[in-house]
This record gives sequence, structure tokens and C-alpha cells, in this order.
Amino acid sequence: MRNYKKWMIGILVLAAILLGGMGISGYLQQKNPKKWSLIYIPKVVDGTNDFWTSLIAGARTAADEYNASLEVTAPDQEMDVQRQNELLEEAIAKRPDAILISPSSFTESEEYLKKAKKKGIRIVYIDSYTEEPLQDLTVATDNLEAGRLLGEYAAQLIGEKEGKIAIVAHVQGVSTAREREKGFREGLGDLGQNVAEVVYCDSQYEKAYELTNQLMEKYPDLVMIAGMNEYSFVGAARAVRDEKAQDRIALVGIDSSQEAVELMEEGIIKGVVVQKAFKMGYLGVRESIRMLGGQEVEKNIDSGCELVTPENMYDSEIEKLIFPFNSSRKETETS
Amino acid sequence: MKKEYTEGRFLGRFKSIQSAIFTTVAIVLLGAVLIVTVVSLNYTRKAVLENSTMYTQTIIRQMNQNIDSYIDYMENIASVIADSEDVQKYLSGDLDNTEYRRRLLEQFHTILEGRDDICNLGLVRADGKALLNDGTDTVNPNIRMENLEWFRNAWDNLGISVLTSSHVQHIIEGERPWVITLSKGICSRDRKEKPAGVFFIDLNYNAIRELCDQNTIGDAGYVFILDQDGNIVYHPQQQQLYNELQTENIDEVMQVGSDAVLTGTGNSGKVYCISKSEKTGWSVAGCMNVGKLLRSSRQAQLIYVLTALVLMIIAIILSSVVARNITLPIQRLRDSMAKVQEGDFGGPDLIVTSENEIGSLTSSFNVMTHRIEELMEQNVRDQEEKRKSELKALQSQINPHFLYNTLDSIIWMAEGKKNEEVVLMTAALARLLRQSISNEDELVSIATEIEYARSYLTIQKMRYKDKMEFQIQVDLSLNHVKIIKLVLQPIIENAIYHGLKYKETKGLLVVRGYRQDGNAVLEISDDGTGMDEHTLAHIFERHKVNYHSNGVGVYNVQKRLQLYYGADYGISYRSEPGKGTTATITIPAEQEEYHEEL
Repeated sequence: MRNYKKWMIGILVLAAILLGGMGISGYLQQKNPKKWSLIYIPKVVDGTNDFWTSLIAGARTAADEYNASLEVTAPDQEMDVQRQNELLEEAIAKRPDAILISPSSFTESEEYLKKAKKKGIRIVYIDSYTEEPLQDLTVATDNLEAGRLLGEYAAQLIGEKEGKIAIVAHVQGVSTAREREKGFREGLGDLGQNVAEVVYCDSQYEKAYELTNQLMEKYPDLVMIAGMNEYSFVGAARAVRDEKAQDRIALVGIDSSQEAVELMEEGIIKGVVVQKAFKMGYLGVRESIRMLGGQEVEKNIDSGCELVTPENMYDSEIEKLIFPFNSSRKETETS
Repeated sequence: MKKEYTEGRFLGRFKSIQSAIFTTVAIVLLGAVLIVTVVSLNYTRKAVLENSTMYTQTIIRQMNQNIDSYIDYMENIASVIADSEDVQKYLSGDLDNTEYRRRLLEQFHTILEGRDDICNLGLVRADGKALLNDGTDTVNPNIRMENLEWFRNAWDNLGISVLTSSHVQHIIEGERPWVITLSKGICSRDRKEKPAGVFFIDLNYNAIRELCDQNTIGDAGYVFILDQDGNIVYHPQQQQLYNELQTENIDEVMQVGSDAVLTGTGNSGKVYCISKSEKTGWSVAGCMNVGKLLRSSRQAQLIYVLTALVLMIIAIILSSVVARNITLPIQRLRDSMAKVQEGDFGGPDLIVTSENEIGSLTSSFNVMTHRIEELMEQNVRDQEEKRKSELKALQSQINPHFLYNTLDSIIWMAEGKKNEEVVLMTAALARLLRQSISNEDELVSIATEIEYARSYLTIQKMRYKDKMEFQIQVDLSLNHVKIIKLVLQPIIENAIYHGLKYKETKGLLVVRGYRQDGNAVLEISDDGTGMDEHTLAHIFERHKVNYHSNGVGVYNVQKRLQLYYGADYGISYRSEPGKGTTATITIPAEQEEYHEEL
């Protein structure tokens, strides 16, 4: 009988402990998981560049939402590979859980990234990547697809017109430039053979402006100029506007900015393919956090892109993409 | 019979009432606690959901009213300006440097100064010319007014204020803010049906955000606004929604109208509280995450569970205490009964602690025990009496054969003129008789008993003149030791009749007395024929009573000795055929008062 009683009490106590355990673990589960530390190094921080602004805003939004700390450091110039590498080194020294980077160079940051990997820091590529695949995760626009979309639209614009096509790319050797150009040529189809020259503006408006002037001089029968990023086509657009060549030369590009929107309203730019920068930044951070948390994530994530033309730019679906929905509305008003 | 069987089946599992009570009470209490806990947990869940829903609905309705009155206010501004004389003049007349233009701009300026939430306001003429803000802003040269939704709507719905969803306003050159536009078409004074212009107010998006944010519905949820077509006017995660990074159950919200609806299941479910405004056509929706709502109640639930645990432990302890309290008197009763069963009445009375059944049982048991004890004592006394009378009966049997034989011997001696011997024998007989009848006491001193034996031996020696001799060697210290009377004589008689009588030569009988191990030992040794083992083994049996002697016999003596002194004492025999027999009587040298009293 004693045994039976002990057995009984044992079961009851066990049940009580189990119940309590369930309650407490249920309660503890509600506690936040580890706060991950992330450092994002974009190519540039530039208030006028909507692409990077939106991307960083997206990254910050996701970091807030998933309770991670996110530090963003970037060079002032998009071409400044050396500065980006310095920032990368600084970031490694801080030993974050993951470094998110949009490498400005296709090859020159690899040794630093290897160093980071050796220290157990996860590498996430956003927007661009390097020659050697050192990343754990890539979130980017499918640049080939963006180029193709632009190429197809360009071919449509050109139609039956005879004439040369010029490409103003941003940085020679950078993955985005190469892929967009490749996609653009694919999208052009047969017209691809009319591409007369590819020039590189090093992501500077002035250089793009000058190069475009040279191109217009060199190829009088130019019917199409395609800029591979915002600096490229905005610089080119300024040149075309100043030459009043907008009726003769159709200008298209990739990415967007307020100036690009204005130029589009003016009719100088005939269309842009916009990347979903906010989504890219957001997904970059969210997927990094999920990966750090041990979840299964896709290794290559396409954040998508969209063709914007002067006709559809104020459609509610499109305006969401090209007019950044910044929380700092008042600040931009006053500036 | 059947009932007993089922009872047995249930209670039979328990070997004690205590565990039966404990288990039953514990199960009942634990069950009650569990049920109450589960019910209150569920109730908490339900109550939290209902309360939050009610609370949120109130807030949402309040918010909708706020928005309505806010829009009302803006409409009033629009109406005041649209109805003013200056507007008509501006719309129909000249544009530059006129008095009414200045007055209008002043009015605009005043409104803009006073309100941060107005982003832009302006008057647009049918020809696309416009008066914007403080007059310094210029119209975006690259737009066509009829492409602007708010312009078109106002143009088509003269005299009514129309409201857009959140959108990008690009009427002003170089500015593209996200705003909500309230616009009102103004008809010309002379031709009522024809629109002459549109007045618009761009509401800063932040104004709506602040309206939504100031009435927070807590950490568990957020508020968003949809226009009549289901477009998002405001949503805290608008950007994410636009980028398809989040989804919102817009269709469901639009279907529900003004009500609350629960979507999803379990903790991942969401509660939507929706209030639709008649005025704006907007739906203000509060969305609460069920999981997060319940998290706030989780603390309460944790307390419930902890309380339940404590209650359970108390229940276990309580049931154990109750079981013990009920059964402890029963156990005491049982233990006490077990003692009584073994004949121990010495324990103290059980204390009656309660007046319940067990209490009366206990007092009954006490009474009963006392009765039994009394009866037992009575019984013991009766037995003692019986023993005493038996003893008396045994010792009072005086030896008629011996008396007869002795008297016969005296006659023979008298006839033979042996006067001295007659005197001696008669004297001995007289002593013998006196001793056997004079003393009523059961106990005599060993000295007396020895004297008695001596008288007897004297008589017998004279009767068997040539047959026997006797010696008596007794420690003087034994003289005062008490012994029950008539012990020695039957043994001696036995020794004579069975040992010496058949001996062909003259026999010797020795009576010794000494102390050994605190006992008094009396030895009667003869050198007669002795006994074989068989005879020796049966010497104490009743049928061995020698009717030729005094009729008492060894059995009788042994019985009396053991009755009186206990089984440890009495007679023992050792004998060797042909060599003789020794009978040893052992009695305690120091006898207890108890026996003295008897």
C-alpha cells in the first residue's frame, strides 16, 4: 500500500512538474531570441540616390521588425573600392554575426571577405557579388532579367528606326554592369548588333554627361542610349536634354531617382527598369537573420524589378516603387 | 451480494482505508483544480479576446470619428475658400497682380501657417493655370491636369468634396510627396453646370499617421485605413505591403464592413475590428495578433497555472491529512485491538477525540476492554480459588491404608508385648497425625516437613525392622524455608514401597537437604531396586498412583508442587536399576510474598 501511495504521489508530482514546466517554457518561448548584430556596407550612401536610400530603409525596417542591430557604413563615392575595403576591415574587427555587403569591386574585396569568413562571420551579398562565391546568401535583382526587360522595351521604342545604340555602363567589371549589359543585348534581339559602343562613367554624373556628349558627336545616327545605372542614364539624360536631342535619341536606364522621374516627366527619359530596392534591403536583412537563426533559406534571392514608363509612372502600383515611401517625409519637404 | 462484490472491486485495491480515502479525495480535488484551471484558462483566453475586441472597436470607432471630423474640418476650409468671391473672380478673370489673387494667397498663407498637416493647397483653373500655396511654387510643366485623379474626380463631381487614397502628388514642380488629397470642383457663377476650377488640399501623410498612431491599440496590434476601393490609405507597414513583403487581409476587411472578425486559427490568428465611415467611405481597421494578445494574458495564465500547482500540492497534503485524520483513530483502535487480542490489557484508554462514529466506537471499545479485563481478572481469581481448593483436596487425602497398616503393626507389637516399641510407634503415629491435621496452613517449614518425614520413617522402620535404615541430613539454613506440606512423605513412601521393599538385603534411605542456585533442594535417595527407563519415564503419570500407600502418589505431589511453584520446580527422578533411585525436590529458597498470602 505504501508503494501504491508513493507511486500515486510520484505521478501527481510529475504531472504538476510537467504542467509547470509547460507553463514556464511557454512563457519563456515568448522571450525574444538572440539579438543578432549585422553590418551592412553598401556601395555608397547618397541621399539623392533613391536606390541606395530605399535599400537601406528596407534593411533598417527589417532589422527593426526582427529585432536585430544593424549598422550601415559606406563610402561617399560608389567607385571607392579602397574605402569600402577599409570599412569592411573595420566591420570585421567589430565581429558582427553577419556582414552584408554590396561589393563595389568584382575581385578586390575577396581577401577581406575570406578573412571575415575565417572568423566565422557570415557573408551576405546584396545587389552585387564578387567573382569568387564567398557568400552564404545573395539577395539581388536578377540583373540579367532587368537588362532583358530594358532591352525588350528599347527594341520596342526603336521599332523600325535605323541607327546606332550606345550603352553607358557604370563601372567596368562590376557584376551588375556586366549582367545588365548582357541582358540588355539579349532583350534587343537582332538590334543587338547595332550596339556601337559601351562606355563606363564610374558612377559619376559628370563623366556620364561628357561620355554621352562624345558619343553623340561620334555617332550622329544614335537612336538609343541605355544607362546601366542611375548615374549613367541621368548623366546621359542631362547631355541629351542640353543637346535637345530627346526626340532623336531614346534614353532608357536602370534604377530611378527624383531627377530621373523629372526627366521622365519631361519626356527625355523614355523608360526605366526599377529594382525593388526596399524589398532587396528588407529581404537581405530578413533572410540573413533567418539564416543566422538556423532556418533553411534560399541561397539566391531575386528581389525583382519593374519597367516604368512616363505613361504608367503615376499608376498606384508603380508610384509605390519609384517614390520612396520614407518616414522622413517632413525632412525631405524642408530640404 | 453483487453490490458487495463491486465495492470489493473498488476498495479491494486499497489495503488501507487511509490510502482509499487519500486517493479518492486527491483525485477529486485534483480533478476539480484541473477543471477550474482549464476552464479559467479558456475563459481568460476568451475574455481577453472579447475585451480586446470590444476595446479596440471602441478605439477604432473613435478614430473613425476623429478622421471624419478631421476631414470635416478640411472640407470646411475647402468650402470657405471655394465659395468665396475671390475664387470666382480668379477663376473667371485675369491672373496677374490682382487684388483678389493677393487676398487668396494671403488666405492660403494663413491656413498653411496655422496647420502643419496641410502639405499643399491650391486652386487650379480649367486652363491648367493654378494658384499654389504661397504663390511661389510653380505648376509642374510636364503634367496634364486631366491625368490627375483628384482633379478629374472633382471636375466630374461638382460641388462635392472628393478624397483620394494616399498617392504621390506631383502638381508642384520638383515636389513629389505622398499625400491624401481633398479636392472640390467649383462651378462657375454664370453657368452652373460647367466646372470652372478645382480647389485642393493635400493632407500631409503624417497627419493621418499621427491620427492612427496616437490611438495605439497596444503592442498587440496596429491600425490601418482602406479607402472605399480597398486601396491602402494608411498602413504602418505600407512599404512592406507595396513590396509584397507582407500581406494584409484586405478583401476580408472590405467584406466585413463595420464589425469584428477573427481570421486564422490559434495563436497565429488575427482579430480585425473595422469601422467604416459613411462620410469618407474609408474603413478604419484595427488588427490584433491573437498570439500577442494572449501573451499579455499569459502572465495571468502563468499565475493560474502556478496557483493550480500550489492548490494541487495543498490538495495532496490536505487529502493525506484528511485521510490520516479519519483513519488515525481507526488505526489506534486497530493497534489497541491487536494488543487486546494478544491479551494485553495494560495499555491506557484510547482518547476519544471526536464525537463521530469512530468516537463512539472508541469509547465502546474502551468500555468493552474494561469489561473484558474485569472478566479476565474474575476468571483468574476463580481459577486461583479452584486451584486452591484442588490443592486442599489433594493434600487432605490422608492415608487410610497406612493408618490401618500402622495400627495393625501396633496391635501386633502390643500382642507381642513389645511395649517400648508400641509406645514409640504410637508416639510417631500421633505426631504424624497431629502434624497432618493440626495445621490448616498449606505451607509449613522444611523443618516441620522433615519432622513429619522422620515420624513416618520411624514408623516404617519399625514395620520393616530388618529391611531398612534411614538417615536425614538437612542444612540448618533450610529449616525456615517454607514448603507445601506433605511433599516428602509420599516420595519416601514411594521409595520404600517400590525401591526398598523388594530389596533382599537391608536398604538405606537418605533424605538430604541443601541450597543450590537459590533453590532449596531435598533429595530422597534409596539403594533399592531402582527403576528401568520405562518406569522412570512414566513415573509422574496418574495411573501410577499407588493405592497401597497414602493414595497421594508422586503424580499428586508433582502436580501440587508445580501448581504452587510453577513448572520450573517440582520433582525429578534419576534411577539405575539395581542400584537405587534418587528423587530430587526443588523449590525456590526465597519465596514470594504472593505465595505467602495464598
